[in-house]
Amino acid sequence: MIPDDPELRRALDARSGEPSPEFRGGLHQALARGRPAANWIPAIAVATVIVLTVASVGVLLAARNLAHPPHGGLVSGARTASPTTSPTESPVVLPSQAYLSAPSRDIVWAFVDYRLLFRSQDSGQTWERRQLPLGVDTGRLVFTFADADNGWALLAISPATQCQAEGAQIWHTADGANTWRLITSVAAERAGGNGIRAEQCKEFISFVDKARGFVTAWDDNSPPTIYRTIDGGATWKSSRLPDPPGFQTATGGFTLRAQDVYRLGNVLLVTAYGMQESGGKGYVFKSIDGGAGWTYTAPIPSPAIAVAFVTESRWLQVILPGQSVETTDAGRSWHAYASDYGQAAPVSPQVVFGDASVGYATVRGSIQRTEDGGLHWKYIKTPGT
Amino acid sequence: MSDDGPRLLERAKAGDGQALEELLTPVLEVAFRLAMTMLNDREAAEDAVQDAAFKAWRKLDRVRPDAPLRPWFLAIVANECRSARRGRWWKVLRFPEVRSTGTMVNLEERIDLATALERLAPKHLLPLSLYYHLDLPIEEVARVLDCSEGAARVRIHRALAALRPAMAIEVDG
Repeated sequence: MIPDDPELRRALDARSGEPSPEFRGGLHQALARGRPAANWIPAIAVATVIVLTVASVGVLLAARNLAHPPHGGLVSGARTASPTTSPTESPVVLPSQAYLSAPSRDIVWAFVDYRLLFRSQDSGQTWERRQLPLGVDTGRLVFTFADADNGWALLAISPATQCQAEGAQIWHTADGANTWRLITSVAAERAGGNGIRAEQCKEFISFVDKARGFVTAWDDNSPPTIYRTIDGGATWKSSRLPDPPGFQTATGGFTLRAQDVYRLGNVLLVTAYGMQESGGKGYVFKSIDGGAGWTYTAPIPSPAIAVAFVTESRWLQVILPGQSVETTDAGRSWHAYASDYGQAAPVSPQVVFGDASVGYATVRGSIQRTEDGGLHWKYIKTPGT
Repeated sequence: MSDDGPRLLERAKAGDGQALEELLTPVLEVAFRLAMTMLNDREAAEDAVQDAAFKAWRKLDRVRPDAPLRPWFLAIVANECRSARRGRWWKVLRFPEVRSTGTMVNLEERIDLATALERLAPKHLLPLSLYYHLDLPIEEVARVLDCSEGAARVRIHRALAALRPAMAIEVDG
């Protein structure tokens, strides 16, 4: 028998609510605009495979006397179709989601509404639509870019219970996301992935230049893993984050989750967040050996708010006017910071800096930019909207 | 699905957004309530249900005309909620000052249970929401969870145990 639990029913009721007329109206309008464009991707994929197959037969026939050895190490490449625009595709309606990568002060990339990729080479003033890896609408997709041309996409697929395992693919572009190549593939049920194991959910990917990159992974029962590569993603090695003071990894979800890795000077920094019985906790870890070893550096004052690394020692938590905080000594002390950053949504923004002055913050698809290190912020147009 | 269901389904499969809306209208409220209990945030719930509606549209070809729509759509909504809770840590936690509150008799118990629900893993929160909040019969809970009825009961018991670790609850399978 399953016991009745009136107290639990009341607690769940308190979390619940009815859909608002505005939401119903918005959904009505969204559905009226037509079926989403991603529906075209499988068809494009099939067409591309057919075209590539036919072309490959021709090439093989032409080159039958040439005996090239197969590529070693990398998974066979797959490329995107030519840029396409579906006739039914509709503009993104905010609130939605935007995921930013800012490799320099001028270059910024935005992955909007989980389906549209854009590049700006003028600090977000103008944007151009770029291509996604082909046929990757079946998992969780995140991006990182080292410059205007080189980028990597991490596709996480089919997590197992408690994130004990998860498949993943890593794609690379060297031509500004015009074409993509699959360089690493991890199956959830077996080892592989050029050094990335099946164990744990793969969370984020971050490259600090064209060669050096990181993938973070976590599960509900053990410390987080940070994979590192020094050859553009061809091979990977791993290390784990240690428990910081006051945090004890335990089964059942009391574990840390590492976020993106940033390089500031010669130091690598990463934040990690997790739950303890006493509530949410956040920490900064540092590596001075390229990610082979990580040491605890500082606690994060408000674990519900993202930390933005501006320089090696200057970090921000921008929240609302009057509530933002700053450290200039790598987390040893924090003080109030008179940033004018503000937003309506009650969740923390993702904040990234391209250099010590130019940074971007996004929450629910809205994007703001600062050009003075985080003091003043202005909204810029979200591409695709 | 109603008598008009198969006809609406065919129209929706052909790309008719109004037909899809008519199909989803009977399950929209329950889907939204599920998203609210899973995410405890109105905007995030709206995002999840809207994204689920579009994903459902893409997957309509897999739906048989005689298959019940509600558990199928709820499973998609649940998956969207899980995705929303993945990723950025700060998407999971909200600013403390705007954290939603409910009305219950015992304030201390309310805070304890609300906090425990907030920390509960999605794999535990989902079966509790389906069974205790949406009042779905165990057969439908099992369909949403994509498991047998026995396994659904086990998952509910395990979720209760995870919610209140101090309570010893016998799993009856």
